[in-house]
Amino acid sequence: MATKRVKLTFPQDLIKEPVVFNMAKKFDIMPNIRRAKVTESVGEVVLELEGADKNLESGIAYLKERGVKVEAVEGDIVS
Amino acid sequence: MTMKTYVKSLRCVECGREYKIDPIYVCEFCFGPLEVTYDYERIKLDMTRQKVESRPHNMWRYRELLPIDGDPVTGFDTGYTPLMNARNLARAWGVKEIYLKDDSVNHPTLSFKDRVVAVAVTKAKEFGFDTVACASTGNLANSVAAQSARAGMKRFIFTPADLELSKTINSLVYHPNLVTVDGNYDEVNRLCSEVANKYHWAFVNINIRPFYGEGSKSLGFEIAEQLGWKTPHNIVVPNASGSLMTKIWKSFKELEKLGLVPTVKTKVFAAQATGCNPITTAIKDDSDVIKPVKPRTIAKSLAIGNPADGYYAAKVTKDTGGYGEDSTDQEIVDAMKLLAETEGVFAETAGGVTVSAAKKLVQSGRISKDETLVICITGNGLKTTEAVVDHLQRPTPIRPNMEAFEELLKKLQ
Repeated sequence: MATKRVKLTFPQDLIKEPVVFNMAKKFDIMPNIRRAKVTESVGEVVLELEGADKNLESGIAYLKERGVKVEAVEGDIVS
Repeated sequence: MTMKTYVKSLRCVECGREYKIDPIYVCEFCFGPLEVTYDYERIKLDMTRQKVESRPHNMWRYRELLPIDGDPVTGFDTGYTPLMNARNLARAWGVKEIYLKDDSVNHPTLSFKDRVVAVAVTKAKEFGFDTVACASTGNLANSVAAQSARAGMKRFIFTPADLELSKTINSLVYHPNLVTVDGNYDEVNRLCSEVANKYHWAFVNINIRPFYGEGSKSLGFEIAEQLGWKTPHNIVVPNASGSLMTKIWKSFKELEKLGLVPTVKTKVFAAQATGCNPITTAIKDDSDVIKPVKPRTIAKSLAIGNPADGYYAAKVTKDTGGYGEDSTDQEIVDAMKLLAETEGVFAETAGGVTVSAAKKLVQSGRISKDETLVICITGNGLKTTEAVVDHLQRPTPIRPNMEAFEELLKKLQ
């Protein structure tokens, strides 16, 4: 089992959808929310994902496909 | 010079949980960023204006407020860059007083990154690392390569493979291990994160980040000291990760806390390129959430689409009554030329970003013309000549005789 710390940014049209739940169920991933912030127009969730390497990869690809921005919690490193 | 440390702990900016001093960078609980805390009561007893003024003209003159335990290993000529009185620019814009904090001449690699890297390399030695690393396409790479060479440490620099060779010369000359990663920007980010987690290296902008960032405070300390121990009414700061702006603000507040400057009333303004403006967009939208973007700008040194300290930077502008402004590539080039033509300073593109933003903020009335304005210039134009080369007038050719010259002179007059 591996873990990944990620920051998800949701566009307005996805805020009401259970995207994280669907990803967790579909790819057998355990999400552990550490921080979240939702405004009228955008949502941000910082969480840890735990699962098999391959599942984590597929789960993150699924989130991106749905229009969620998936970034490392430490922000961009290359500067 | 042996010094005692005034550092207390690392503290999570989000939840306040404290950690002992280690090469760590996020809170284990909420994944918030960690920040260095100091024993200000003790610093107050030991740090006076006179003491600072008696020290050499480098960034370590504020050493009580920098997070190292022993003697610095580099940065002996870093910092204390000019705070230029920009009279011509002030006249052109009708502003009472404009100053340029000119880190385009910072030692040794001509950008403000020399400040943060001086702290990072010293801290890396203190932690017992023998290798310093970073992921960078420009200024940070130059400074890590140069300063870890001087400190006698091994050095690894990661860049995307499609970076032009000319951009790497200012790093390659110091003979680092320069690794070009055959992947896009996100993949380089991911790999570096994995390398930092696996190898016992000092990755300056990952596991050394809380200490590294503190080096930026020296820029703020200097501005206050050079203004006669007071902070300006307004300051315009370029934003990439947002860290520099939060640290300048921290530096002003620390000086205030220690009684070294009067009450701080500075308004802090963020400047970004329109092609990479997640922070100024959040400021303009009055939003608490920074939406990541894909950068497309000539201001490469500010091209961070997912800024780690974006939220905190936006908050500084809000808390201080400042604002954010962004500029197109053309506006950036025009401002670089304006700065060169009026003040004789050749800044890199990030300098064009701050000068252009300052101009707009003055024009819109957000910065009062009757107040003092400081504009941060964070890098040297010689590093980004390609940004202006197609926008300059051409040289005038003549035949090799006086007649030809005088003919030309008549035309020019």
